[in-house]
Amino acid sequence: MSNRLTLAVLGVAAALILALAVVLIVVVAGGDGDKDTAGSGGAQTPSASEDGNGNGDSEAGAGELRLRGDDPLTLDPATAQDAGSAFYIVEIFSGLVRLDKDLQVQPDLAERWDISPDGKTYTFHLNPDATFHDGRLVTAEDVKYSFERALSGSTASIVAENFLGDIVGAKDVSRGRAEEVSGISIAGDTTIEITIDAPKPYFLYKLTYPTGFVVDRRQVEANPRRWTNKPNGTGPYKLKEWRLGEEIVLEAYDKHYLGAPKLKTVRLELSGGSALIEYEDGNLDLTGVGLDDLPRVQDPSDDLNAEYHQVPRQSIDYIGFNTTAPPFDDEKVRQAFALAVDRKKIAEVSLQGAIPTATGIIPPGVPGFTSDDKTYGFDPNRARELLAESSYAGDLPEITMAESGAGATVGPTTEAIVQFWREELGVEVNIQQAESGTFFSDIDQGRYQMFHIGWIMDYPDPEDVLDVLFYSTSKQNNTRYANAEIDAMLEAARVEQDSEARLATYQDVEKRLIESAVWIPMFFDVAHVLVKPYVQGFEFPPMVIERFRDVVVQR
Amino acid sequence: MTDGLAAYIVRRLLFVPITLLIVSLATFYITRWGPGDPVSVYSGQFRDEEAFDRVRHQYGLDKPIIQQYGIWLRDVVTDGDFGVSFRYRDRDIPEVIGPRIWVSARLGLYAFIITFLVGIPTGIYAAVRQGTWLDPVIIGFFLLFQSIPVVVAVPMLVMLFAVWLDWVPPGGFDGLVSRSMLIPTLALSVPGIAGVARLARTATLSTLHDDFVRTARAKGLDEATVVFRHVARNSVVPLMTTVVGLSLVGLIEGALFTETLLGIPGIGSFIYEAVRSQDYNVVLAVVLLITVAFMVANLVVDVALIALDPRVRDSGSVR
Repeated sequence: MSNRLTLAVLGVAAALILALAVVLIVVVAGGDGDKDTAGSGGAQTPSASEDGNGNGDSEAGAGELRLRGDDPLTLDPATAQDAGSAFYIVEIFSGLVRLDKDLQVQPDLAERWDISPDGKTYTFHLNPDATFHDGRLVTAEDVKYSFERALSGSTASIVAENFLGDIVGAKDVSRGRAEEVSGISIAGDTTIEITIDAPKPYFLYKLTYPTGFVVDRRQVEANPRRWTNKPNGTGPYKLKEWRLGEEIVLEAYDKHYLGAPKLKTVRLELSGGSALIEYEDGNLDLTGVGLDDLPRVQDPSDDLNAEYHQVPRQSIDYIGFNTTAPPFDDEKVRQAFALAVDRKKIAEVSLQGAIPTATGIIPPGVPGFTSDDKTYGFDPNRARELLAESSYAGDLPEITMAESGAGATVGPTTEAIVQFWREELGVEVNIQQAESGTFFSDIDQGRYQMFHIGWIMDYPDPEDVLDVLFYSTSKQNNTRYANAEIDAMLEAARVEQDSEARLATYQDVEKRLIESAVWIPMFFDVAHVLVKPYVQGFEFPPMVIERFRDVVVQR
Repeated sequence: MTDGLAAYIVRRLLFVPITLLIVSLATFYITRWGPGDPVSVYSGQFRDEEAFDRVRHQYGLDKPIIQQYGIWLRDVVTDGDFGVSFRYRDRDIPEVIGPRIWVSARLGLYAFIITFLVGIPTGIYAAVRQGTWLDPVIIGFFLLFQSIPVVVAVPMLVMLFAVWLDWVPPGGFDGLVSRSMLIPTLALSVPGIAGVARLARTATLSTLHDDFVRTARAKGLDEATVVFRHVARNSVVPLMTTVVGLSLVGLIEGALFTETLLGIPGIGSFIYEAVRSQDYNVVLAVVLLITVAFMVANLVVDVALIALDPRVRDSGSVR
């Protein structure tokens, strides 16, 4: 009796295992067949290389580049405020000017421009061949519309004032006091004059950010909420497909005014498991490398080592002090904290030497950067002396450092930093983690004594870090630093027309800020990338700029 | 009798909008109460409180919460508009959620089936073997797997199947018939088996010594017939409501971790991302959707049970 029951149960189990096995076999066998035909990029490879063979050196681009990507927050240039969105926008849209790979301003929609002797009026002459993807010519009217739309309240752009606010009358539009920007006037079909409030040499840099890129008025007005699903841009690539969470496909716009892109298709996989494994399997042509995999790709005996590249990025990781909160309102306490941290050792031990220590506040690649170390070195004796001399000697309040995070574990570098303070200064610093949104707004409101944070440059000018973060009344002055002398220097640098003198001023400001230990500059950022050898011409710009046009993929 | 059933269904359906109203109001308040807001989250290093306020005003986030709720409710009811997603600003929320649900539904399908097909026979078998070493060993075996948190199990499975054996991709989702299904199916089904098995075991045990079972045995039926035809039908079938509900909860919970860890664009990884970035309207829409899924699943199972249970069916009245 019970034997029959055992048999029945065993039978059911066996049938299940059998069924699973069959499914697996089908899947594995089917999967093998699939892999080279239906895999994300695989199916396109044959047709893409056929294109390559067929067209040879003709105008139209060839080849396909496959990489990992993320869904952008938006493809609307006016509201985009993050590198992730800008990555796509700079390919699909374009503005009056752009940055080249050396971060120099180059003509884009504007083929040339004149600057008035007082440095305040820019006259842009549009490229007469510039067209939208649907073939319509780009006019001065389109530029004016795009700027005004970006500034308009109903567009809800957080960054519009930041990038276009220097234009006379721009703030009247963003604050709802006017419909048109008084500083923008049309001087012909393809000529536009823009007047700014002061002769600011960095104004052109601001125009390289997506906020001022040109959009198609008819398309936007016909479908204000959904037009970005198939945007009619002016960039070298058209958005061919965007399946949320799955794939974005960019296709070359062969009639682009700066010439047809060499690379025909860019395929971005928006989800999946380990990118490194997919890269090794040949499903991706390039990928970033995480810290955990670094030792492996940096090992010269590893096959991947030949395909490994280090790319500097224009950003800096730092510890900021709230200069109005005890005990960091005393310069000596800040200096002591700076001197007690051995950043080089942290870089070696916690970051496996993958990230360089910062030499100052201005990141590499930005004019004014120098490679000599201007920061405080590791000097624990001096640190203890300074702490003893400070007004808080022997009477330090409780100190908490804030960082962005989910609260589970502290980053390896944060742990090391706190340990240095504990061992060298005998000060126990608490760590408080907050979700990024809360973290940023709490910093704004001066709720932290000190914070571990980073700054990513938006355009390659020292103004974008020194003025934006340290001018006493700047909205982003998160250290609440106020120094009339520094303010005066920053004001002078804004409008200094001699670029050498201007950079010298910024370097002086940088030196004083470091001396006063408003920040402990910690690390400059570096990206770690693997690229297949058959991908040629892929540049690693330290900022978000157009990057696919000149790539050649020959598998 | 069919009247009774129809009335019952109508009565249950009437509760759907009321439940949804309560759930939506609660979720709306909870998500908007805490510190921070999506405008601030998505602004990253751009800190311009004045600009934030202008944008908040544009989205109506500066209004009192109850008023915001009213506007939201009106838009949902009149236009089917669930508001903007701050993460996917170029799309409508149903459009963002749709493909994700479809991925998760396919991802959970095998796991759902396996949980039942393995869990219920195992539970019955363990009950029948009560008092022998097999009972604790079988249940213990599945409990062991249930005790491994998904966050630990998934990386272990990836290590085993994707790295060492190199059978399957380390993540992603390539469709229902693909090798990418192996790890999520195991991760989603194995922890659930123990739960289902224990419920089936308890239910079986409680029926195993009932009079009608003794009668069946006395009639000379063989043990398998007794267990499957008499015991199981009377113990396991009524259990289905609880089990389906529990499995759904398990699947959604499991999906949250499994999808996040494997980089699968399903509803689990989606809600994780939405909660983290305070994408209010998306969290709300997903919560409502899950609520509806539960209510519908429970209703269908209840109705099926009523239709199948002669006692309920023939009495002509339903509770």
